[in-house]
Amino acid sequence: MLFWIIVAILTAAVAVFLLKPLMRPGREGDAARTGEAAVYKDQLREIDRDLAGGLIGEVEADNARAEIGRRLIAVSATGAADGRRASGATLRKIAAGIVIVVLPATGLCLYLLTGSPGTPDQPLAARLENPGNNLDLLVAKAERHLAENPNDGKGWDILAPIYYRGGRLGDAELAYRNAIRFLGVNAERATGLGETIMAGNQGIVTEDARLAFEEAARREPKSPRPRFYLALAMEQAGRRDEAKAAFEALEKDSPADAPWLPLLREHIAKNSSDGPPVASAPGNPTEADVKAAEGMTSGDRQEMIRGMVASLDARLKEDPNNFEGWMRLVRSYAVLGEKDKAVAALKVALTTFPADGTEGRQLVAMAKQAGLDVEGAMK
Amino acid sequence: MIVEIGHYALVLALAVALINSVLPVIGARRNDAGMMELATTGAYALFVLVLLSFLSLVWAYEASDFSVKNVWENSHSAMPAIFRFSAVWGNHEGSMMLWLLILTFFSALVALFGRNLPESLKANALAVQSWMGVAFALFILLTSNPFIRLSPVPAEGEDLNPILQDVGLAIHPPLLYLGYVGFSVSFSFAIAALLDGRLDAAWARWVRPWTLAAWTFLTAGIAMGSYWAYYELGWGGWWFWDPVENASLMPWLAGTALLHSALVMEKREALKIWTVLLSIVTFSLSLLGTFLVRSGVLTSVHSFTTDPTRGVFILGILMLFIGGAFALFAWRAPLLKAGGLFAPISREGSLVLNNLILTVSMGSVLIGTLYPLVLETLTGEKISVGAPFFNLTFGLLMVPLLIAVPFGPLLAWKRGDLLGALQRLYVAAGLALVAGLVFFYAKNGGPVLAVLGLAAGFFLVFGALADLWYRAGFGKVSVSTGWKRLTGLPRSAFGTALGHAGLGITVLGIVAVTTFETENVVEMTQGQTVQAGGFAVKFDGMRATKGPNFTEEQGHFSISRDGVQVADTWSSKRLYTARRMPTTEAGIVTFGTSQLYISLGDPMSNGGIVVRIWWKPYVLLIWGGALVMMAGGFVSLSDRRLRVGAPARRAKPVKAYAAEAAE
Repeated sequence: MLFWIIVAILTAAVAVFLLKPLMRPGREGDAARTGEAAVYKDQLREIDRDLAGGLIGEVEADNARAEIGRRLIAVSATGAADGRRASGATLRKIAAGIVIVVLPATGLCLYLLTGSPGTPDQPLAARLENPGNNLDLLVAKAERHLAENPNDGKGWDILAPIYYRGGRLGDAELAYRNAIRFLGVNAERATGLGETIMAGNQGIVTEDARLAFEEAARREPKSPRPRFYLALAMEQAGRRDEAKAAFEALEKDSPADAPWLPLLREHIAKNSSDGPPVASAPGNPTEADVKAAEGMTSGDRQEMIRGMVASLDARLKEDPNNFEGWMRLVRSYAVLGEKDKAVAALKVALTTFPADGTEGRQLVAMAKQAGLDVEGAMK
Repeated sequence: MIVEIGHYALVLALAVALINSVLPVIGARRNDAGMMELATTGAYALFVLVLLSFLSLVWAYEASDFSVKNVWENSHSAMPAIFRFSAVWGNHEGSMMLWLLILTFFSALVALFGRNLPESLKANALAVQSWMGVAFALFILLTSNPFIRLSPVPAEGEDLNPILQDVGLAIHPPLLYLGYVGFSVSFSFAIAALLDGRLDAAWARWVRPWTLAAWTFLTAGIAMGSYWAYYELGWGGWWFWDPVENASLMPWLAGTALLHSALVMEKREALKIWTVLLSIVTFSLSLLGTFLVRSGVLTSVHSFTTDPTRGVFILGILMLFIGGAFALFAWRAPLLKAGGLFAPISREGSLVLNNLILTVSMGSVLIGTLYPLVLETLTGEKISVGAPFFNLTFGLLMVPLLIAVPFGPLLAWKRGDLLGALQRLYVAAGLALVAGLVFFYAKNGGPVLAVLGLAAGFFLVFGALADLWYRAGFGKVSVSTGWKRLTGLPRSAFGTALGHAGLGITVLGIVAVTTFETENVVEMTQGQTVQAGGFAVKFDGMRATKGPNFTEEQGHFSISRDGVQVADTWSSKRLYTARRMPTTEAGIVTFGTSQLYISLGDPMSNGGIVVRIWWKPYVLLIWGGALVMMAGGFVSLSDRRLRVGAPARRAKPVKAYAAEAAE
């Protein structure tokens, strides 16, 4: 309500202000062009000053005076003849009507079209005072607290799993590490850290993650989560028998109604000698490629990857307007250790996606992370 | 509610602008004083409403009100208050608001200081300003509305582009826009004169202070932007011939030409049509520049698929104002009477030469900037027109101009004496050549052309001094009389001298730095020392620190000369956490007007780091010259000697806002 009162007052005040000149008794405009005459008279005085100061000679001064004099005469001559017919009061009444109608009409119509009447202001400080159940706000509040007290391990401990669930993996890893640093390691934190690292590596149990799970398993040997991931690590490393044994041991220790049993059995079946082959880490090759890769030596596999990268390169040369493709190509070359090719690919990619555009920036940022000589490619 | 009131104020401003763009024109046609005065009242109302709207947006940024989409997209609560403030115009929507604010600010100034203007000219000019107000307010409301609300409200903003989180960029856009939009006033006066069909010497007098103010701000804005690019981008360059930079250079060149041609028009009533055309061209280039910088005229054409309305709207505004102005010009200009005659060698003649060179060089920049963009839109082919093109065309065109500048002020109006001017300048020219040679041999290196470049720079500086010297009559009259005459000279004469000398100083800086700078790119490990510019730069090691919203890797360098440490500096690379975006903060050490510029590259596997070290002799002269030019602009603006009396009809004291450049 208050809002609409202010709107009404504002509109009325502007209308009154605009109507003021229209309400005065009618008067004709200034036809005598006195302003222009004043300029020329001043120019004449200026000539005198210059003459007195010795900046111009007598002859030039006379010539200039004559010229300005002609302008002055021209002004007064046309000025007298130029008196245009003044308008009546009717015109001004119409004008006043336009002001009265146009202001509120345009104002309200457009505002109702584009505005959000009644939406309150929501300054962050006030929202943080009273966050309610808004998880994002609670997180923001905790972040502010931690920015001021970065040694508060408890805060990190609370935030870490929230970050993890929200997909903010980088923040989650930092929070877990800080929590471990200030509060010491326990099974829960170590497992969380391991899961976070794993999630950041497309589900692969990396060395860092495996160490974290081992730490957790050492502290709580009965805990199923670290044991499961350690078994998974063996599976991913291709040690199928060991993995199968570990999964089976976990199955034996689990209660009969444990919700993870179906998943366990799936893995046990997968690692049995008569089960289907293990899928390698998720990537972009087709299933047939993966099948083919299974039977290869590691050298052959490298060769196959190179072949795929080369075909991607060729495809992009024909159709360079494929941002995802470029990202993959540059990254692949960087991973294969062929930095020159990566930089060359980046260079070509940047001609299609300039470095100052959104895609270009992503390309550059990715290349920088991959340790490429980005400056060279941007030249 | 504050945000919504700001939104409504903007809508109301549009309504006022609509009224103000029609009624005063009718008033001027029918010679109705009341309706013409509406333009003045309306201009004030418009400014107050837009200011109200802008302030509410500023409030939303300062309070981190993320229910406003624009704030959420461009701010972060961890940003320091100054950047939360500058973030208001650090994005497309907010910068359009700033543009509109400055436009209405200038309208209000014209309303305030234009009391001596003929009523119809003032009413028409303010109406034209309102047309632009309508166009921009509509553009903001319909396609770039900064007051759009979000629900649910996010907890944290997405942060401002880290490159923009810098004090330089906080000041740069307002200065640049004061320049761009300042030229709207001369544009409006030109259109008003064409509508009125009356154009005479007095018109030039009224327009010139506005042009001068806009030119001064634009000079400041360009210099600021160039210095920012120099220290923030970490590439050690100060001008890249980037479309964004060219966009601001073009109106500056046209504006400089306008400044000089208005002088001729005021004194001799010559070059009338040309001056009007230049007013239109200058502001057209400003409009183009606005959109090139913020939205990219052609990127917005590209993004038709994502946001067609914005691109179409921008093209519409450009076509309406530029096309409309030229159409009006083509229709009305032939009706204007031509003015006074003059001999080729005269003050007028020299100013025509100035205009010729400035507009042609402006044309070369325009072609170099727009051709690749147009070609890309039409054929999809990407070409790059880089420094070689501009250095060849623009650089060559500038050479005769630099030599001719000192002659202009020494030539008489109407019929000048080139020989006489030459005689008076040969001392300055000789001194300049000697100074150039001395400078060159002291540095001992670089191509021979550098001597000429340096001499040209010195010639501009000495020539400006010579102008004052001869005006005061030193050498002909006694020293005390000379001094009296010097102090009695109009301020505009000093303005001219400062402007020309400032140009000379900039030229000196440019030539010196391009000729004498040295660049080292080395892999440095801790404790290693590199020689640059006569200094020994020692790399002391790296450390990691943390700012409010970024993490930083800093390298420390000690700089010593002859074994004695004279300075030390930190050079760093930042990573802005919210956007995961890296920036460089070069370490810059100033020695007099020269600088040592240290920028960090990528770390090496052996623990070392790639370091780029530039020695930039006299580099600060480039921007120092711009400062002197600005000072010239302000000195000229402050020239109250020629306040022209307003019509005596009004009882109020008269405040004319007229300035006079050198005569």
